Amino acid sequence: MKQYVLFIAALVLPLGALGQDLGTPEQLQSGAALYEAKCAHCHGAAGDANSVATAYLRPAPRDFTSGQYKFRTTGSGELPTTEDIKRSIRDGMPYTSMPLWKGILSESEMEDLAYYLKTFSGDFDGPYGNPEVITIPRAPTYDEGNLARGREVFEANQCADCHGENGRGNGPSALDLEDEWGYPIRPADMTKRWTFRASATREDIYRTFTTGLNGTPMPSYQQTIDEQDRWALVDYVWSLSEDEPNYGTVVTAVGTAGALDISQGAALFADAPRAYFPIVGQLIEPGRSFYPGVNGIAVQAIYNQNEIALLLSWHDMTAEVDGANHPGLVVPPFDPATADTAAGPFSDALALLWPAETPDGLERPYFMFGDAKNAMSIWFTDLATDSAAVLMGRGSASIAATGATLAHYASYEDGAWTVIMKGPRQFDSGLYMAEAAFTPVSFSVWDGLNQERGNKRGLAAWYHLYLLPMETQSAALPMAKWALIALLIELLLVGVVHWRHRRSAT
Amino acid sequence: MNLLVLLVIVAALAALQLVATRWVTVNRLAWMAVWWVAIYLGLAYGINPPLPSSIIVLFMAIVTLALAVYLSADSDELASAVQTVTAFIVEKRFRVALLTVLAVLPLLVALKVYTNLSNPPQPPSSSRTIHPPPPASIIFDGTAIDLATANNPYRELEHTDPAAFAQHVENGRRVYFENCFYCHGDNMQGAGMFAHGYDPIPANFNDPTTIAMLQESYLFWRIAKGAPGLPSESTPWSSAMPAWENFLTEEEIWDVIIFLYEFTGYEPRAQGMPH
Ligand code: HEC
Ligand code: HEC
Ligand code: HEC
Repeated sequence: MKQYVLFIAALVLPLGALGQDLGTPEQLQSGAALYEAKCAHCHGAAGDANSVATAYLRPAPRDFTSGQYKFRTTGSGELPTTEDIKRSIRDGMPYTSMPLWKGILSESEMEDLAYYLKTFSGDFDGPYGNPEVITIPRAPTYDEGNLARGREVFEANQCADCHGENGRGNGPSALDLEDEWGYPIRPADMTKRWTFRASATREDIYRTFTTGLNGTPMPSYQQTIDEQDRWALVDYVWSLSEDEPNYGTVVTAVGTAGALDISQGAALFADAPRAYFPIVGQLIEPGRSFYPGVNGIAVQAIYNQNEIALLLSWHDMTAEVDGANHPGLVVPPFDPATADTAAGPFSDALALLWPAETPDGLERPYFMFGDAKNAMSIWFTDLATDSAAVLMGRGSASIAATGATLAHYASYEDGAWTVIMKGPRQFDSGLYMAEAAFTPVSFSVWDGLNQERGNKRGLAAWYHLYLLPMETQSAALPMAKWALIALLIELLLVGVVHWRHRRSAT
Repeated sequence: MNLLVLLVIVAALAALQLVATRWVTVNRLAWMAVWWVAIYLGLAYGINPPLPSSIIVLFMAIVTLALAVYLSADSDELASAVQTVTAFIVEKRFRVALLTVLAVLPLLVALKVYTNLSNPPQPPSSSRTIHPPPPASIIFDGTAIDLATANNPYRELEHTDPAAFAQHVENGRRVYFENCFYCHGDNMQGAGMFAHGYDPIPANFNDPTTIAMLQESYLFWRIAKGAPGLPSESTPWSSAMPAWENFLTEEEIWDVIIFLYEFTGYEPRAQGMPH
């Protein structure tokens, strides 16, 4: 009798024999068609992540046959709910290739897909197919008073082992981590919350360490941290990052009368505004970089009469100061992912890219490494060495040394590189960085651990460096001048009209 | 387009027209001033992304000229306009108004100079030609391809051999998901995972002004030669579009073109029609 009732229930409600939420045949059919058209090329026709794109992606597309989902409102090791899967589809996973489908698929289409994804794993209609939901309480307002306690909880639970002392993703265990499928995985950089996979509201941070991220080394602390401390920990993690990356387009250099003593390090740049730029993989020429190790770089600049100094800083899990690197190194056309632990013969490196000559109008060298017509001046430092040099680029295949060297400073501390390069405002090749003018500039970063060398690099588009004039002109004089001119024109007009009026009257 | 702003402007004009026909007479000169201001507001605030100020100045100069021509086309109109201005300047009853105008205008000029100087300076912005005319022919892998006559050799299979066509679509899908989606996005909206790091941003193929209005031979040129193949008005030095002749075969390029159209549902523009 009971079975009979369940059978009826299964027909009427889209529920399995044990109350699992499995969707109707129509939903599954619609989900299958959508999956074929929109998802199979990454997640594989059989849902096993065996696809053309997988070799190029890190993290790899999810293998749905495993039943392991990062984003869940259920306990560690449990399956996700339909709503969880739907939310991952809707919001995507930032800074991975998993796109957000909001605005592209309708809510019901996403639901159909969520049901269809469940069919790839035998677990959803099995005995564990109806997981218990952990309700995430509403976040109390952010409280700075919590930070000290939050830091204690952070230390007591060894978050720093993986995430690093200051959350930059560089803890002592970070290097050895692998995900369920044997791919190397890096702990999240908590100072860049916009890169969190499963959203970054305070409730989400709470959920992440409460439920853990299945399939990854990120553990669940459901049993170990009590409610009060959880929100303290959330506030601490929250305090480590800005809300948004606020990507800039201009580095503003401030002027100073004195010498630029770069041995002071970052302190020299205390008054210079900081601009942050995205770094993405070089995908344009052979030696493509599909998963760059660095995703952003902060830049500050100061100048004096003759020289300019730039401070560049970025997060990097480890400092590779052995081996060598050079923009001219040749990379095979396809260089597959290697494990992070396999430290290669390549060191970390940085380049600042400039037009070799002052640009004529908008024209500038090809942003890759210059071209035959417009050469690029490359300020390059291999961080395994103690020097920086000026190279001349006329395309990726013709990068030559000029013999000129630059003053340079480099330090690596707690997951962050700080590099300063100082050179003349007037280049031998012709470029002059004038005050109150914009000079094109770009950046390239190599993460040696990620086998980056030569054209396999993290790069940036053309941006600008602006030299803020040392003496700002007061506005009073030009204002008075233009107001006076306006008044004169008016009086002239009035005079002429009066004169003509009187003449025509007589 | 910022439709809301434009609507407000049009509504304001209509309301004024109504008031003017019913209750007060607005003279021609005042009308022209109203039009001038309305057009300025429309250009400055009604268009998204905002036009560079140099373009607005250019347009307004043209508008001013056009209004002047309009006014002087009819000598009665011109005479009445001149009369109004003269009356305002010489008649005693306008004395206070005139002095106010004389005082306020220079102050406005001073204010404008002040805001100009205190705004942070803007880097030179590059307006680029998105669809420059293609070259007559290109060399691909040693052979010349005449872009005016080249056709996608696999296009006709769509009707003659659907099964073979489907294979080309599938191959195009493979090419796209091995090579293109990092920039153009897996849904072809130009929002790939690396799109935020490139300027100009990658093309959005769902937009009706990209592949929907281009011929397949044009796409072949753009895909084979990439940014380096662009003329200088299209800022080849800053575009991230790779030259795929370095990576793909001729067949792979035609296949990925087929896939772009299949996925977005657009039809290529027929050969022989101008771009
Ligand atoms: C361009 C490749 C790509 C496409 C297309 C794509 N995905 Fe993904 N997807 C990924 C990657 C990569 C991940 C893994 C992200 C991670 O682990 O951080 C992923 C993860 C997921 C997850 C797992 C979320 C979790 O909590 O673990 C779901 C669910 C998912 N995708 C559903 C879909 C659906 C449904 C579609 C089609 C509508 C789709 N994906 C299309 C690349 C893709
Ligand atoms: C054993 C190593 C390890 C420990 C210990 C660890 N994490 Fe993680 N954590 C990871 C990894 C790896 C990831 C990245 C997962 C990914 O990219 O999918 C991560 C990701 C995260 C994220 C980002 C989630 C997202 O949506 O991308 C947060 C927040 C986080 N961890 C918080 C914590 C906190 C808080 C602690 C301590 C209570 C902690 N982690 C301890 C390995 C660890
Ligand atoms: C590294 C990023 C990147 C990759 C990878 C990339 N593109 Fe592009 N593509 C761009 C950018 C940026 C533009 C817009 C600028 C331009 O027109 O050059 C563009 C423009 C185009 C255009 C011109 C559209 C128009 O309306 O004129 C076509 C066609 C195109 N891409 C096709 C492809 C194909 C096919 C692939 C894969 C084989 C591909 N792209 C891979 C960045 C990329």
